[in-house]
Amino acid sequence: MIPAHAFFARKTLIKSLSATFVVGGLLLGTSSALAQTAPAPQPPGAAVEQELQGLWLTTPYPAFFAQPGEEVDIGLSLANKGLPPQRVEFAISGLPEGWQWEIEGDGKRVGAAIAASDQTIDLSLKLTPAEGAVGDTYQFTITGKSGNQTLELPIALTLAETQPAELTLKPELPALRGTVRSTFDYQVEIANDGQEDTVVNLLAEAAPGFQVTFKERYGSQELTSIPLAAGEKKNLSVTVKAPENAQAGQYPVMVRAAGGNAAAETQLVLDITGQAELALAGPGGRLSGDATAGEQRTFNFTVENRGTAPARAVKFSASPPSGWNVEFNPEEIAEIPAGESAEVAVNMTPSDQAIAGDYVVTVRANGDGASDNESFRVTVRTSTIWGVTGLGVIAAAVMVLGFAVTRYGRR
Amino acid sequence: MPQREGSPFTGLATVALKEAADHMTSARIHLVMLLVLLTAVGAVYAAIGQITATVSEDQFLFLRLFTTAQEPLPSFVAFLGFLLPLVAIALGFDAINGEYNRRTMSRILSQPIYRDALLTGKFLGCLIVIAICLLVLWLLVIGLGILLVGLPPSAEEILRGLAFLLASFVYAGVWLAVAMVFSTIFRSPATSALATLTVWLLFTIFWPMLSPLIAGAIAPVDPFDPMTAVDRVEVERAIARISPNTLFGEMTLAILNPETRSLGLVFANQLSQAVIGAPLPASQSLMLIWPQLACMIAALLVLFTAAYVSFQRQEIRA
Repeated sequence: MIPAHAFFARKTLIKSLSATFVVGGLLLGTSSALAQTAPAPQPPGAAVEQELQGLWLTTPYPAFFAQPGEEVDIGLSLANKGLPPQRVEFAISGLPEGWQWEIEGDGKRVGAAIAASDQTIDLSLKLTPAEGAVGDTYQFTITGKSGNQTLELPIALTLAETQPAELTLKPELPALRGTVRSTFDYQVEIANDGQEDTVVNLLAEAAPGFQVTFKERYGSQELTSIPLAAGEKKNLSVTVKAPENAQAGQYPVMVRAAGGNAAAETQLVLDITGQAELALAGPGGRLSGDATAGEQRTFNFTVENRGTAPARAVKFSASPPSGWNVEFNPEEIAEIPAGESAEVAVNMTPSDQAIAGDYVVTVRANGDGASDNESFRVTVRTSTIWGVTGLGVIAAAVMVLGFAVTRYGRR
Repeated sequence: MPQREGSPFTGLATVALKEAADHMTSARIHLVMLLVLLTAVGAVYAAIGQITATVSEDQFLFLRLFTTAQEPLPSFVAFLGFLLPLVAIALGFDAINGEYNRRTMSRILSQPIYRDALLTGKFLGCLIVIAICLLVLWLLVIGLGILLVGLPPSAEEILRGLAFLLASFVYAGVWLAVAMVFSTIFRSPATSALATLTVWLLFTIFWPMLSPLIAGAIAPVDPFDPMTAVDRVEVERAIARISPNTLFGEMTLAILNPETRSLGLVFANQLSQAVIGAPLPASQSLMLIWPQLACMIAALLVLFTAAYVSFQRQEIRA
């Protein structure tokens, strides 16, 4: 049995050692007896069966760094193991002048707590260090009085210089290509690597006419500034809209983020490819005209290239009503440089059978990658030949009358 | 045949003005015109009632005064098409034979007035009366329109209205010439009145029924040849157009409905890509009715020539 006893005693020793380590670690070198209310003396044999008993006041980080003037939240726990409910009153000793503190339990300010058997109560110590010399270490002790026993929890707090906010901007795809009508959407990650919260102003520097808007990724609101907590990262969507008349080429856009004393910038590049854009216009800008049935009429159309690249091989076509004849002169224009316009004569011959009134003829210009069409309204007038025929009928009737008058007149 | 000296139209104005004055004061014309006025004003008033109750926008509001029909009254145009021949017949059916019956023909012709001048003068006198009546009626309609609708007519509407006035005038003139022909042929006014009314009824009521019958006899439809159906329609239209009523109806349709593009058969290919419902310019509408108008004027002249030849060849001393 003795070897067995010895074995168990060793095991108990290990257990109490580990408990001492835990508590001792928490109490910073104070002996476990101080932290632990004296457990009832137990025979070594009985201790083997019994669990650890006692009342502890602990914190996970007994030595830490904080910024002067900023509130610190220290988590405390009051653990009762195997004892009847214990009332513990809290106090702090050794705090420098001007420091403010309070202990809160469940969000309320408390002065004492009762830990029921086998229960742990979580508390927090709110401590506001006064402005002090940076680098100094302050020692103070949290004490809990329970009956005639005192729990002590020494804590060391060092005032440290905080790292200022440090911003980085990281575009996911810094160069995009598209036409002037494309939307250039850049995904940019902004990160605050410092230890200070900051509000970041977002700025962009682009060529005149380019519009830059900032949005949160998947958001719809436009941003001018964004709050960024210490260590936080946010994804931004930077949208650049090129002006309609932008020539083909590369355009850099500088994106800046500035907050507090920190700033970051990154360069985005728009690679705009040119595009031809055709615009047809009727004679004198009008989209209507007159024509006589069966007779050719020429309308001078203007085709303008409003795009940023030359339009090549511009062909013309029309969908006239049946029986009509529409010809173009020239039928094809080899090249219209950007911003220039060319004339094309459209010869329309309405059908002989066309009845008077308005008709719609669709005129199209098709270049490489660009096209335009216009609905041209033609008012067809009928030939006056039949009017002359009507006059002839009347003239014939007058001749009959004249003949009758000469034959039978003046009687 | 010895040629006499002097203008054949000496005294033409005298005869015409005297004839017009006689008609203006005669109870017959008063009654007929009262009838026309009442029906026309009633039709226009009903049309205005319907127009003011309609909210849709219309470019040619004034033309709708003439063409809008409200049950049970027909439209103003329909009234005119029916009653204008009656006015013309009332004016002309006893123009010549009435003189014989009153035994005044010899007396008139014993004056230094040629027969030419007498017939032409009587015809012109009646035309003056018709012109005055139509003008008054037209102004009345336009005036009622301005007063009750509260809008001035546009220039295009006035132009079309005047064309409509001219068409009505020529239409009435044709019927006057018909009445004059019968009044020279028949010695009895009753016979000439009946003959004229017969022609009127024939063209007004029976012609729309007869023309398909005649067309069916002339151009039968072969069910295996669709072109024969087209021919049939063309023939039927040609026959229907012998009637002045058809011509007048087509003219009013084209003038008072500017959307009308054609009065004949229209094929679908002629309407491809046409903007349906767009009004024709007034000039084009006039071009459209010009054949009808020219035919009516020619018919008027030919009928007058017939009356003239018939009158010139008559023995008048009896």
